[in-house]
Amino acid sequence: MPRAVRGLLIECDPSIKAMILKYDEERHDYIVEDLDDENHLVIKESQLENLKARLDHDLDEKIMQLDESESE
Amino acid sequence: MGSEDSQSFGVFSQIRGEHPVSIADLDEYARRQWEGVLGYMVGTSALSGQRDINLSKGVKQLLQAGHLVEIRDRRVDITKDGFGFVLQDVNTQVWHILILYVESAEAIGMDSVEVLSFLFLLSSLELGQSYEKKYLSSVQLRTLADLADFGIVYQETPEATRFYPTRLATTLTSDSSALGSTVGSSLTGPAGQPGTSGTGAGFIVIETNYRLYAYTSSPLQISLISLFTTLKYRFPNLVTGKVTRQSVRRAIDMGITADQIISYLHTHAHPQLRKHNAAHATSNTSSIPPSVLPPTVTDQIRLWQLERDRLRATAGFLFKDFTSLQEYQAPCQYAAEIGVLVWKSDRKRMFFVMRHEQVAAFLRSKK
Repeated sequence: MPRAVRGLLIECDPSIKAMILKYDEERHDYIVEDLDDENHLVIKESQLENLKARLDHDLDEKIMQLDESESE
Repeated sequence: MGSEDSQSFGVFSQIRGEHPVSIADLDEYARRQWEGVLGYMVGTSALSGQRDINLSKGVKQLLQAGHLVEIRDRRVDITKDGFGFVLQDVNTQVWHILILYVESAEAIGMDSVEVLSFLFLLSSLELGQSYEKKYLSSVQLRTLADLADFGIVYQETPEATRFYPTRLATTLTSDSSALGSTVGSSLTGPAGQPGTSGTGAGFIVIETNYRLYAYTSSPLQISLISLFTTLKYRFPNLVTGKVTRQSVRRAIDMGITADQIISYLHTHAHPQLRKHNAAHATSNTSSIPPSVLPPTVTDQIRLWQLERDRLRATAGFLFKDFTSLQEYQAPCQYAAEIGVLVWKSDRKRMFFVMRHEQVAAFLRSKK
């Protein structure tokens, strides 16, 4: 019997998808369905803002900032 | 509507006043009023301590109605739309305001058709000429008074019998660069000093190493530049700074887009920058149009914006748990035909749609 599930289809890089999967491992509160390809998954609609903020925060920490130096 | 032919293009005032208003005066008036409006939006007039342009209630209400500013706790806060607005060139801004004005005209009991026809009349007037007010209808007189607040027309007193269009009005339907160069450059002149036009439009130099030099002392322009630049030094007629990842991210967080920043830099690029890049482009024979700004800088600003949007989200419904491939294929194909299909996987027998109503009905009808 086919079913329809409400959610947000997320398209992203494999690296970002890996991070989302990692977040979901903690409490299983993000993902509705892992679509098993490299760059798609369906998440809960209510979690988008939360997820974006978390990604931004973590990526800012991880990515090296080369251009912020004030030296010549 | 249908005004008579003789009035379609305005009626010259026959009175030769003792104090004819010169074009320079009109430019200065237009500059002051328009900078006042922009300054009100970004909140510079309070900071710089320059003579506050007295903005009428109508102007403030219009900016608010157009969602360019919001009033919170009696403080003026610029909105995302407002940021986009202030970074545009003057001609686009004037059109934006006029469109807002026409849209809001009905709400304050004016016939928008009449307002619109007056705007077209305005754009056909001649700079430096004065025109009779007595042929205008009451709605048009009201429009005239409102536009005077923006610096689009000038009248000595609200009771005067004639009015002058300023450059903001007369270049409405002409090439934007004409307006951009005159008002743009005078906007950059020292505050309170008559516009030093004729020196070219631009004042911003940006180098391939992201360093930015802006030859201006206008508090308005400086605060606009500081929206997306980390400013470092300020001299009497020059500010320098650097466009950094951080400063661009800050701007994007406020709702400014990379394209808005680039178009602002492009509009106000220093003539030297234009000359240099034009010469560079002719020397190599490629067919790529010469870009005024260093491509590394524009590309990087766009990349910094892309960094923010690492994922694309589409709201909708996932259809799954189809028992056979045939059962899956028909609705999936149907979804594609009606244009709601976003993603599908034949292997997993799943597909994702933006809207589910029709697909669900299709599935039910198949049973």
